[in-house]
Amino acid sequence: MSLEVVVVTPEGEAFSETADQVVLPGTEGYFGVLEEHEKFLSPLKPGAMEIHLTDGRVEWAAISDGFAEVTAKQVVVLVDECFKSHEINVDEAHHTRAEAEQELADLLTSIETQEHRERLENTIVRLSTQIDVGSRLR
Amino acid sequence: MATLSDIKRRITSIQSTQKITSAMKMVSAAKLRRAQDAIESARPYAARMRATLQEVGSAEAGSSHPLFEERESVSTVELVAISSDRGLAGAFNSQIVKEAERLVAEWKAAGIETRFTVVGKKAAEYFRRHRPSQISDDRPVGPKVNYLEAQQIAQRLMSDFENGEVDQVVLLHNEFISAIAQTPKIVPLLPFVSEKVEAEVEAELDLDAAPYEIEPSSETLLASLVPKAVEVEVFRALLENQAGEHAARMSAMENATKNTEELIERLTLEYNRARQAAITSELVEIITGAQALE
Repeated sequence: MSLEVVVVTPEGEAFSETADQVVLPGTEGYFGVLEEHEKFLSPLKPGAMEIHLTDGRVEWAAISDGFAEVTAKQVVVLVDECFKSHEINVDEAHHTRAEAEQELADLLTSIETQEHRERLENTIVRLSTQIDVGSRLR
Repeated sequence: MATLSDIKRRITSIQSTQKITSAMKMVSAAKLRRAQDAIESARPYAARMRATLQEVGSAEAGSSHPLFEERESVSTVELVAISSDRGLAGAFNSQIVKEAERLVAEWKAAGIETRFTVVGKKAAEYFRRHRPSQISDDRPVGPKVNYLEAQQIAQRLMSDFENGEVDQVVLLHNEFISAIAQTPKIVPLLPFVSEKVEAEVEAELDLDAAPYEIEPSSETLLASLVPKAVEVEVFRALLENQAGEHAARMSAMENATKNTEELIERLTLEYNRARQAAITSELVEIITGAQALE
């Protein structure tokens, strides 16, 4: 008896695992899913996803915003991006985040740059999650 | 009359063109396969998205979201024209430009202004020259379509729509029908209409009748779901455009290669005739010379 976890991104299926438990970053806070959970849908915010595999290991993945579809036997996670902790290059993420922060600091506050600023802020949030997940135990 | 060396030179030059066109054809064939794979891998996400949207939509009958809003009077339409960055792909880009002009004329007759979002350098070149004041955004396709790009385009379109700058958004791109057929396709993007889930998708996902619990509320879910669905639609158009571009280039290059073969054959014939003529006239000279000595 176990739970099937599938993560789908627009660029293809990121991974699918069999797990005992999954913890997901819902917009209202983290929530855990065990098997035989009631069917439900929830939006997700960027954060760390925790997968307790059936063999006792725990895996982490950084996901961007999206939503999760939970049924008794399956959890389907639809997100824009998903990286497992071992796929993340923490140093590189630090570097890119520093660049984005610098660019954001240099940008003037005005309506014209708002779109650009939002984009940069979004990038920073994404990279922060990746750094967080990437530096956890593997 | 062309001399032997002239013809020889032309043959060599056509042969090297042929090498280029057949190489380009093979490159496009490989890229086409990759582009088709990209479309395939985007499918599950889009299918699930649609199914979920349907689920939420049915749970919340008469659901309202700013992106669903149908405006009574339409004064400005944003046309998203998608083309390729590079040419040598037959009518691929020109048919998009032609179709765009046709739509603009049609809307103009109805008193509707058009603004352009142009994707791909080829269409951008045209619109920058002919309608510079109407372009709201133009960007190249880039070497590989990624979701982030589609997201950026979609987000700008959505914010323009929501704050009333435009009343409708229409996508125009080449539909990838097969490796030899791509035709311009017009897809209304906003106001967003959630389509019915196709029977096969439904069977594949095995949607059972029990409704989903929605946390925290269906409005919040809808608010994050609808923009994503719009992004996916833009992403799909970009992917189809990419596959179509490589397919169009492949068939254009195949035709070009065929033409060079024909030309080479004709020129070789001409070359041989000219050579034969030269030999004959030389022989005639020798024979007449010998006869004169007798």
